[in-house]
Amino acid sequence: MAEKKEAKQERYYSISKLNKWFAISSMILCVAVFGVFAQDYLREWRVFQREFRELEVEKTRQAYENAQQDLEQNQEYQTLIEDQKKASLELEGKEVLRKALQKDIDKLDSEYYSVNRRHQFAKAEYDAAKYRYEDAQDHEGLTKDIRDEFAKTQSLMKELKISAEDTKKLLDFKKEELSSFDEKINQLDKAKEALSHELDVINRMLAKIDTAHMSFGNRMADKFRDLPIVDFMNPSERIEQVVVKVDTENLNFMRVPRVDRCVTCHQGVLRKDFADADNPYKTHPNLDLFLSSGSPHPLEEFGCTSCHAGRGRGTDFVSAAHTPSSPEQAKEWEEKYGWHEFHLWEAPMHAKPHVEAGCFKCHSGETVLRGAEKLTFGLNLIERSGCYSCHTIEKYKGDPKTGPNLAKISSKTSKDWTFRWIKDPQAFRPGTWMPSFYGLSNNDDPESVQWTDQEIHAIVHYLYTESENYDMKEIPVVGHLARGEELVSSIGCFACHKGPNEDDDEDRDRQHLLSEFGPHLLGFGSKTSEKWLYHWLKDPKTYHPDTRMPNLRLTDQEAADISSYLVSLSNEEFMESSVPEINEDMMDNITHELLSLKFPAWEAEEKLKSMSLEDKLAFSGETIIRQQGCFACHNIPGFEDEKPIGVELTEEGSKSLHKFAFELSDIEHSKAAWFQTKLKHPRIFDKGKIKGPYEKSRMPKFQFSDEEIDAVVTALLGFVKTDPNLRKKPRTPKNLFVEAGQSFIRQHNCQGCHIIEGEGGAIQENIQDWLVKHQGKTEADAEALAASFSPPNLIGEGKKVQSDWLFSFLHEPTIIRPWLKVRMPTYDFNEEEINTAIKYFNFLDDEPFPFTEKIKPDLSAEEMAAGEKMYSPDYFDCFNCHIRGAKMPGGTPDRWAPNLELAKERLKAKWIIDWIKNPQKLLPGTKMPMYFDPEYFDDSGPDDILDGDEHEQIRVLRDYLLVLPKAANPSSPSDQDG
Amino acid sequence: MDAFKSIINSLSEPQIMFSFLVLVFFFIFPPSDKLYRIHKKLRLDLLWTNVGGVFIFTGLFVFFGLGVTDENFRLIVTKPDNVPIVGLLFLTIFFLWLSMKQGRDNDIRLAEGQKPNEYHDPEDKVLVWPDLVYIELIAIVLCSILLMVWSIYLKAPLEGPANLADSPNPSKAPWYFLGLQEMLVYFDPWLAGVVLPSFIVLGLMAIPYIDSNRKGQGYYTFNERKTEISLFLFGWLLLWVFLIFVGTFLRGPNWNFFGPFEEWSLSKVVPLTNINLSELVYVRWLKTGLPDNIFLREFFGISFVVGYYLILPPLLARTILKKFYSKMGIFAFSMFVILLLTSVTLPIKMYLRWTLNLKYIVAIPEFFFNI
Repeated sequence: MAEKKEAKQERYYSISKLNKWFAISSMILCVAVFGVFAQDYLREWRVFQREFRELEVEKTRQAYENAQQDLEQNQEYQTLIEDQKKASLELEGKEVLRKALQKDIDKLDSEYYSVNRRHQFAKAEYDAAKYRYEDAQDHEGLTKDIRDEFAKTQSLMKELKISAEDTKKLLDFKKEELSSFDEKINQLDKAKEALSHELDVINRMLAKIDTAHMSFGNRMADKFRDLPIVDFMNPSERIEQVVVKVDTENLNFMRVPRVDRCVTCHQGVLRKDFADADNPYKTHPNLDLFLSSGSPHPLEEFGCTSCHAGRGRGTDFVSAAHTPSSPEQAKEWEEKYGWHEFHLWEAPMHAKPHVEAGCFKCHSGETVLRGAEKLTFGLNLIERSGCYSCHTIEKYKGDPKTGPNLAKISSKTSKDWTFRWIKDPQAFRPGTWMPSFYGLSNNDDPESVQWTDQEIHAIVHYLYTESENYDMKEIPVVGHLARGEELVSSIGCFACHKGPNEDDDEDRDRQHLLSEFGPHLLGFGSKTSEKWLYHWLKDPKTYHPDTRMPNLRLTDQEAADISSYLVSLSNEEFMESSVPEINEDMMDNITHELLSLKFPAWEAEEKLKSMSLEDKLAFSGETIIRQQGCFACHNIPGFEDEKPIGVELTEEGSKSLHKFAFELSDIEHSKAAWFQTKLKHPRIFDKGKIKGPYEKSRMPKFQFSDEEIDAVVTALLGFVKTDPNLRKKPRTPKNLFVEAGQSFIRQHNCQGCHIIEGEGGAIQENIQDWLVKHQGKTEADAEALAASFSPPNLIGEGKKVQSDWLFSFLHEPTIIRPWLKVRMPTYDFNEEEINTAIKYFNFLDDEPFPFTEKIKPDLSAEEMAAGEKMYSPDYFDCFNCHIRGAKMPGGTPDRWAPNLELAKERLKAKWIIDWIKNPQKLLPGTKMPMYFDPEYFDDSGPDDILDGDEHEQIRVLRDYLLVLPKAANPSSPSDQDG
Repeated sequence: MDAFKSIINSLSEPQIMFSFLVLVFFFIFPPSDKLYRIHKKLRLDLLWTNVGGVFIFTGLFVFFGLGVTDENFRLIVTKPDNVPIVGLLFLTIFFLWLSMKQGRDNDIRLAEGQKPNEYHDPEDKVLVWPDLVYIELIAIVLCSILLMVWSIYLKAPLEGPANLADSPNPSKAPWYFLGLQEMLVYFDPWLAGVVLPSFIVLGLMAIPYIDSNRKGQGYYTFNERKTEISLFLFGWLLLWVFLIFVGTFLRGPNWNFFGPFEEWSLSKVVPLTNINLSELVYVRWLKTGLPDNIFLREFFGISFVVGYYLILPPLLARTILKKFYSKMGIFAFSMFVILLLTSVTLPIKMYLRWTLNLKYIVAIPEFFFNI
């Protein structure tokens, strides 16, 4: 160091050592910088885009080859090529002529150019002279010079104009001559192009994406544009995004536009040719309904996350908040993409099994979401099991309680039966919709069972002491069991009730739910008395004013028959199960526990001492009913204004995950898993927790299959908080009325009997059984006849019937199809309800509402005669099947058709025309013959009537119907309804 | 291994760890001659040698190395938010060791009658231009490398959209405020968030005026400035770095305490049975109810506080801090004692909490005034 000091420069550090440090650190910095670029260059989405492009090139090349092969095999194309060859050979022979002509054209062209220019100049001179002339005339006066100039320029201009036009004419003629030489070749070219259009399109595409098809310059540019740093200009690899128009993103403090970058990796969603590709390149299913620009959900408006949820701005697998469908898939993703749950995003993507959850937020008004079967099934299950009774759900606000009215229970059944039923409803009616509250994982230990048995005693005690009186007279006639059985299966009970003979093995679907609208018809003999049943059947509303059970207008005899049949069904095994005695000590404990929840210990103690056993039972019963929330599904005296006890579910799907109490369970931490577990084992989250008898979970257990649970979970995940600006399904009058009608139809289970909007008619299966069992038909016959003996299909009802008539009919049903055994019940609808139904049918069919065309048939004598003739057996023989007033047609009832005398009040005039023209179109499968074949319409009608004019014939048929005179036959009207 | 982990977990309870550290602290950084002699006798000064350094850092690395094999420990230590604090821990200890080592070397030289190391023209003398600038350039390059590599491997710890109705649990302040947040456990927000931080800033500003020891200027020494260094390090290491460490690594959901190998369970419940001094005196000791009069109720607390700040300073000036009093004069001494007493309130409050479940010494919620 000391020597160095003497050097020219004073240095204390070894410069070469520092240089080395600098060199090394610079190199490392360089590597780090490359690392930064490499990290960007290898981002997941870039790799996906590269892979997609390879796939795309491969597919396009394949398509190109196919198109080429097609062309090669196309005879027409090959002939064209041959022709073109011939034509060009021909052309070669005319080369001298062609050259001479071309020379002429060139000469003429220059000539025309020169003369035309002179004409233009002359015109300019003339315009100037014209101005001077006009100006002078107006001001200082015309002079001779001006006049002369004007005349001169004008004549020159005209002369040159003619000359230019002549030259042009000659030139055009020559040009045409020349082009006629090439005409044939050009024509052939065009024809060829038309055939090879597809190939050309593919070729242009390939030139864009396939480097092998590119020019050298393009190939270089294609590589260059994606290089690091320069890729800010116009790269081919880029993040692609859709700014969603229908929904926004909720960031709690503000709403920001939803920006979906999913298509950055999911490049093939709109490409039909990627249907068999693997994800992320796969085509989106059902492009007619989703994503394509003509569909109701175009990509550029809806994006992806407005339906699928997830984080649209995420550009890698994890940050997009993908959700696996199963633990296996989760594992696969972990290995493949380093997937882990993206807990920072509150709305992770819906897993594939629950993808339909995304439909609900915009379609929440609908009862049936076509195309979202699972979600609809889930909604139907929620509706049927009455989840909304305990858990408020906006969609179901105001819907009726699902359980029976218990206000008059003492007249209906016995205390012992009630005890057994509350303890284990499944033992009485397997598959009943009454959920189980006892014998579950948090109260099935012997100690709890002893406790809860006494609780049930208290509940029963309360119900029976509070029960009102129900006045029942003696049954006036003796019921006939066998007749009752037939009546039950014929008049339509099975549209809403499951019968005693039906097996429970098969999985329920939406259709099955229709026939589980009411309770299963099982075990009545053990439950209730014949007398009670008789009164219930005669008029259900006297027992329960709000019941949805309609009145079937049964005669005394019919009601007695059915009651005697139903009480013959009993469940002995259930009634043999033991009912423990009321244990006073235990009752004391229960009452004390319940009192201590409300009062300080000394007061509880005092109150307990002052209570008799009766008091204790009554107090405990009432408190437990309140605590368990029984009143949510049942009308119970004393609980009229009570609030339901469950958590509101309207926005359950948006609740953040950590608000779900997973407690000590080790299930997967997701909402779907929590819902699934809660529905399957409702009390499982109590496991391992120390809880007092009134701190335990209270959610009862419903008998759902795994598939059903999955459907309900889909619906729950769909119950999300929505943006007020969310573009829901348009709130047009049509949609509103149709939605209200759909809800009305479900409320009254119309589809149990009728097919409406293509669904329903659940009763047909039972009608078949009835035909076999009680009408002696074979299975095959019964299947063919079932539709004829079932309530009508209501397809196109709005187009078909007059609103006035429908109003009266729904108010008080009349007989239209006397051959039907099954009855349209009397519902006691109020006018608001009937209007809902009428509006529904009319708006569904886009019919004008409320007023429709009024026809005043004015038939001439000739037309009248023609009508009569056409109705007669010589022609269409209408009354061979159709009933006319009280006159039944001949033959068996399965051939009968509705009463035509009702037509003028019932049917819309326009519909009758359409119906006669083509009944199959309006009601596929109808028995009504097609007299006017639409394919040979003009030859279809009889030639000797109304000059063979089919349109006139149909009009007269219709008008005749509207003035149809009453039938002469005075046979007594049937007392049956249809 | 599990037994070892549970021992570590229970040793990390703040009561135990803090007491242990306080106890050990005064032997490692002895403020008085008497303790210094014990320090020497125990050969604790050997920590500040190369061998000691290897020992300290081997211990730290082994602990962290083995620790990260535990899932709970790994989760906390490798959380992108917490990585800088792990770095802070190592850097704090390293620089502490480095300066103490230089101080020890000089102490030995001084004891032998030699001048301190820094007295001689150092061999590694640096010229600003070009050497220092060059070195700084290299340092910039190395730091850039560090930041780049860090940013490649650790993603920024961004959170989800903030939600009023749903705050994260635990809600943690940025790492440099975690000491303050930890103080909130023991003090009213007004004190922990406003008064004490102001005192810290004022205290740091006042150091040059209070510290009248002219020794150790321009060179490292421990022996000649042991009281000053010991007091400062007590505040810095135990009342600041330690609190950050606890706040970062050992406070989990609901601000409950968790050992380094314990799972952060959301459902952990710790009984909250804290009481105010007034309740302690009237209810527990005198077995009567609380008086209605606020001043009567808080009489003991107020007396305690007033006594603490009015009686203790003159008492200290006459007893153990006599030397300082005579050296500093009344004004500087008062400042010093007030600052000292205020900083000591934290450990006092901690121990009162741990032993008597004491919440506030003076609690007047009527005026939002609590001490």
